[in-house]
Amino acid sequence: MTLWLSLAWLSAGFNAVLLVLLGSVWLRNYRQHGASHTLGLLVVAAFLLVENGLWLYFYLLNPTFRGWFLSTGTDIQVGVTLLCGLELVALLVLARVTWR
Amino acid sequence: MDDVLWYVLASSRGGPTRVRLLQALEERPRNANELATELDLDYTTVRHHLDVLMDNNILRRSGDEYAAVYLFTEQVEAHWETVEEVVETVDATE
Repeated sequence: MTLWLSLAWLSAGFNAVLLVLLGSVWLRNYRQHGASHTLGLLVVAAFLLVENGLWLYFYLLNPTFRGWFLSTGTDIQVGVTLLCGLELVALLVLARVTWR
Repeated sequence: MDDVLWYVLASSRGGPTRVRLLQALEERPRNANELATELDLDYTTVRHHLDVLMDNNILRRSGDEYAAVYLFTEQVEAHWETVEEVVETVDATE
């Protein structure tokens, strides 16, 4: 049952892509004017990018984690997948107000 | 309101352009067409940014759709020192 595992790493991957896009907007603006508000958002994006990188490592490259994930119950699989899935929804909302 | 001003004018993709619009409106109220001419921007681009500024209660429209001039909301006027600080920081005219 690899469906949830796939959904989980896809969410983490999309999060990383969105964070890079958001980060590029904030970095360009920050270099242009140096507002501390924008710097704050850049720092947030950097930490969230590391977080999603860590998830991607566990989901795709760590055999122990993958083994545990695939052998555990659906409730846990869904719950852990939602950690990245819900973050994706949050980042999409943020992207919408940032991209305008 | 302060956070909104920083976000909409400094930390979003269209922020620097919106700062230029506010600078033009600070001189005198103008309609969308005049703003497009003044800043050498597309009319649709100007309308997009004005809509964002209205959605965030930074600007309001006076009069009917087409000839309407854009004015600052009372809310923004109450936070004018923040507006000045943000505009000064972002100042896209460099």
